[in-house]
Amino acid sequence: MSPKAVAIVLAALVAAAGSAFAHHSFAIYDMETNVEFEGVVDTLKFRNPHMAMTLKVTGDDGRERLVEFVEGAPANMLVRMGLDPATIQPGRKIKAVGSPRRDDPNAYFLKTIILEDGTRFHVLN
Amino acid sequence: MSHFVLAFFRSSPRRPGRRCSVLGLVGAVALAAAGSAAAQGTGDAARPDFSGLWFPAGTRTTPQPLPFTDAAQRLVEQYRSEFTLDDDPGRYCIWPGMPRAVWGAPFTIEIFHRPQDVTIYWEGYGMYRKIYMADHNPPPALVPSAMGHSVAHWEGDTLVIETTNLKPYPYMTRMATTSDAHVIERMRIEERPGDDGQMRRYLVDEITLTDPKMYKEPIRIVAQAVHRPDLQLLEYTCTDTLWDEYLQSRGLTLPDVDALPEPDEE
Repeated sequence: MSPKAVAIVLAALVAAAGSAFAHHSFAIYDMETNVEFEGVVDTLKFRNPHMAMTLKVTGDDGRERLVEFVEGAPANMLVRMGLDPATIQPGRKIKAVGSPRRDDPNAYFLKTIILEDGTRFHVLN
Repeated sequence: MSHFVLAFFRSSPRRPGRRCSVLGLVGAVALAAAGSAAAQGTGDAARPDFSGLWFPAGTRTTPQPLPFTDAAQRLVEQYRSEFTLDDDPGRYCIWPGMPRAVWGAPFTIEIFHRPQDVTIYWEGYGMYRKIYMADHNPPPALVPSAMGHSVAHWEGDTLVIETTNLKPYPYMTRMATTSDAHVIERMRIEERPGDDGQMRRYLVDEITLTDPKMYKEPIRIVAQAVHRPDLQLLEYTCTDTLWDEYLQSRGLTLPDVDALPEPDEE
């Protein structure tokens, strides 16, 4: 896809963001809070209507823990934005930004994926 | 507008006696055109051909708040008190159906347009819809469905579509509709500059939903999609999560078939 075509798709996605997940309310998440994690993908469910992922991160105390991104954008939307699912397979090092569920602060909605080369896939503000 | 369209349909009785001759003519045309591009399109150069790949243009308008009847408003309040935000039909792959489906979610739409019908395939939820042309002896509605039974006619370059026989959609926070819901669409092509300044084709659908038990007045929605021949339709399987949850409840783990050895490694 040409850069211009990508721009058009992104513009459409941004414009449609309100309806992108129209079947789904985001009120269960604290969307004002954005937490960035760096770690290694542990499990990945790259699918529709929402992808899901766990990320193994190492805390300041040196202990490893799993961060659960219980849902994110539809897989098809990410592919259309240019994300190659091979780049986020288990074992790959990435950064991820999420917003926590209000009733479970250990479960996050995945808003942004940042690959090792810095490429960002941002699906929701 | 909608009253005029309704009057048109109600004053245009079906003519079953024409079935054989019309079918014969359609069959002859179909045979003559089989295997050629001529089988697609409207069969009339003055009318637009909706065929192709489209993508929602992000300009759908839906009135808020919705004009619920008093009884429906009470149902909304009861629904909100009983259903949580997690009790969401979309998570369980329930089709939004008509008229909610039209150019909403950001997934590719593919349209196949023939003189006798328009077939629309939505990537999102894998939704499918058939619109029959009134002058090609449309089949009867058999069962109520999410997409309903749609019959269309041309008014100039605008395809006017009437949809009935819809299943109830009782999700009160998702533009609910009853079995009485009746949808009129006026679908046309507009060519105009896009956000990037280039001329683009837009598929514009002006929708009027009438559902007197649910809404005090007709609801008008305008939805647009932009022609995007560079896209492709991707598979959208919605039920994987549900299947995973079932397997988990049964304590079952699927075999990792990709971990099987290559034939020459055995």
